[in-house]
Amino acid sequence: MPSALRHLLFIVAPLLAVFAILPSVYENHLMLFNFVVFLILAQGVNVIYGFTGYLPFGYVGFFGGGAYGFAVMVMHLHASAPVAVVVAGLAGVALGLLLSPLLRLSGAYFAIANLAAALAVLHFVANPALETITRGPYGVSLTATFNPNAAYAAALVVLALTMGAVVFLKNSRFGLALQSVREDPVSAAMAGVSVVRMRVIAWLASALIAGLAGGVYAWYVSVFFPDNVFSGTFSIFAIVFALFGGVATIVGPIVGVLLLYGVYNLIGFTTPQYFQLIYGLLIMGLVLFLPAGLVSLATRRGWHVP
Amino acid sequence: MIRKIAMALVAGLMLATPALAADPPAEIKIGTLYASSGRFASISMPVHSALKIWVDQKNAEGGVYVKAFDKKIPIKLVAYDDQSNTATASTLYNQLITQDKVDLLVADSGSVLTAPAVAIARDHKMFLFDQTGTGASFFSKDNPYIALMADPVSTIWPKPVADFLTQDGPKLGIKKIALLYSTNEFTGTQANAVRKFIKEANAPVEIVYDQGVPTETSNYTVIINNIRAKQPDAVIHLGYAPNDIAFLRNVNEVGAKFKWLFCIYPGLETELLEKNVGVKGMQHVFTYVPPSELNYPVNFGMKMPEFRALWNKTFPDGKVEFGFNAVAGYTTALVIEKTLSVATSLDQMELRRAVFSLSGQLKTLDGTFALDETGGQIGELTPLGQLEPDGKGGLKFVAVYPHDVATGKPVYPRP
Repeated sequence: MPSALRHLLFIVAPLLAVFAILPSVYENHLMLFNFVVFLILAQGVNVIYGFTGYLPFGYVGFFGGGAYGFAVMVMHLHASAPVAVVVAGLAGVALGLLLSPLLRLSGAYFAIANLAAALAVLHFVANPALETITRGPYGVSLTATFNPNAAYAAALVVLALTMGAVVFLKNSRFGLALQSVREDPVSAAMAGVSVVRMRVIAWLASALIAGLAGGVYAWYVSVFFPDNVFSGTFSIFAIVFALFGGVATIVGPIVGVLLLYGVYNLIGFTTPQYFQLIYGLLIMGLVLFLPAGLVSLATRRGWHVP
Repeated sequence: MIRKIAMALVAGLMLATPALAADPPAEIKIGTLYASSGRFASISMPVHSALKIWVDQKNAEGGVYVKAFDKKIPIKLVAYDDQSNTATASTLYNQLITQDKVDLLVADSGSVLTAPAVAIARDHKMFLFDQTGTGASFFSKDNPYIALMADPVSTIWPKPVADFLTQDGPKLGIKKIALLYSTNEFTGTQANAVRKFIKEANAPVEIVYDQGVPTETSNYTVIINNIRAKQPDAVIHLGYAPNDIAFLRNVNEVGAKFKWLFCIYPGLETELLEKNVGVKGMQHVFTYVPPSELNYPVNFGMKMPEFRALWNKTFPDGKVEFGFNAVAGYTTALVIEKTLSVATSLDQMELRRAVFSLSGQLKTLDGTFALDETGGQIGELTPLGQLEPDGKGGLKFVAVYPHDVATGKPVYPRP
């Protein structure tokens, strides 16, 4: 059996099945929805950071851009929610294209520039002069499309597409070329890999994923302000979850989200007063002892981690 | 035989269920969120602490009177910490409704942390006691599941400011107004309202400077010079507390002498502003007069001095600031208490009916509780006041508008 099919059958399909069934046995659907959104975002970070080495601290810019792409479509063009979600993804891609010159930077410089770019997008969207288009800082209310169940199903579709993209990257020559660019761009170029093209494609794919996630998020929550959908927490959580599990793998970000976001919610519901302490210790432990993520526990023993 | 007994027991239980349903619950569960950390902690903790004070007070008296069961029932406050994180807040609001099955849902403070609750409450057909989320987008005719408890909705909040400038302003010689605001929902909406009220007044005043700046702005030196160049008679600055601190500091540093200057937070978080700007920098500044300075006549709940005394007793270390937000939290609690005393059941639409029946009738230490048809708060307006030296090295509030609550005359121009 080809490894891509194996990954789809034994990792992606069970994950989707679990999240499709869970709403019928657990009532806090919004928590499940947030799990799905963070799975999508963590895999989006995986695409750009895991496979190319660019750490997108301003990843939320695409997410928020997608949410507002959805809102603009619904408010002004009265588009149906599924169409608006597609446009949300395209809004992410458009922003990705606009910000693609940032790829000329690397390391910390890229991370900081990306963070600044996300803030710029936030202030652009929240500009009162754009009130007639984005509602500026005054927030949007999308009651016409409010349908949590449909939004949850759409999130699962986006998750399926995202997981499919990561499986493709993990099992294709394209993904291998991306990793070669990450490890040594000069050698990769010498071997005939188009470094710039590879990076831009991964960057746009990552932006598309975040834009789609922003679209389904806007569909689900329906009432939000720029501060809600451009909150830096989305970037930080997605990055921490992906790193915690282990990037450049299929299962790493999944493990990261399920464990870390699970613990996050568990602490939040039981002992919120110890939240910062427990979460901080967990992340410090990871950085000190497992810098390559939880999956490195397996890879250190020579086990293959998909 | 055993099977027959079991069936009889099941049948008995089924028959007994309707009777049990009418029994009073052991406790009334009120679900809410608070932010112990993050950017909204400073407004959330006083509101939440006031709610807790009320819960402890009522439970010490044996509970709160619930008309639906014609008896006092203890309150259980189910509260989670959202850490100022909106995604977390969404999950926790859902947790309160779906897992904790709370009887009443109370939002966290401020519009950003209230926003996630609006759609969730509506989806679950839960009435949302919105404490201080003044966002205009929350209130619409097609959403009956929300009402604003303690702050005026942002679209009418600055009415006393605009009315003073358009009615008393021309008599004082105020003709040109500068409007500077932070581009967020809270202050952006107030800026819109100021423009609207001034335009509608048809008074001989005009806005000669109208500028929004990012909420993160921390240096206003260039902006202040730009305002000075327009030679306004009055300057309105609408921002959060950090914006007011930076703005007032810069005004003093560059030596700008605005004849009339309004900021929001010298009135709402006076102690914080005094610490960071200094008494001298706040002298003669116009601001909202908080209810803690006004002693409104009440027909329900504690009067301001009693509440303040209880607050000081509960928080003797002063770590949770007494002020505008503390009063807001207690006001929410009073609305809840009064609602339970008039609602004939705990059905969410009956709770809504009970809340709306209080409109115009309930007078608390925060003023008169009044709702418009969408649930927006149109009572509890904060008058316009001016901070004057109290002769002891501190500051005192002098209410100047509306005239029926005025305690003195405005000092114009500022010395």
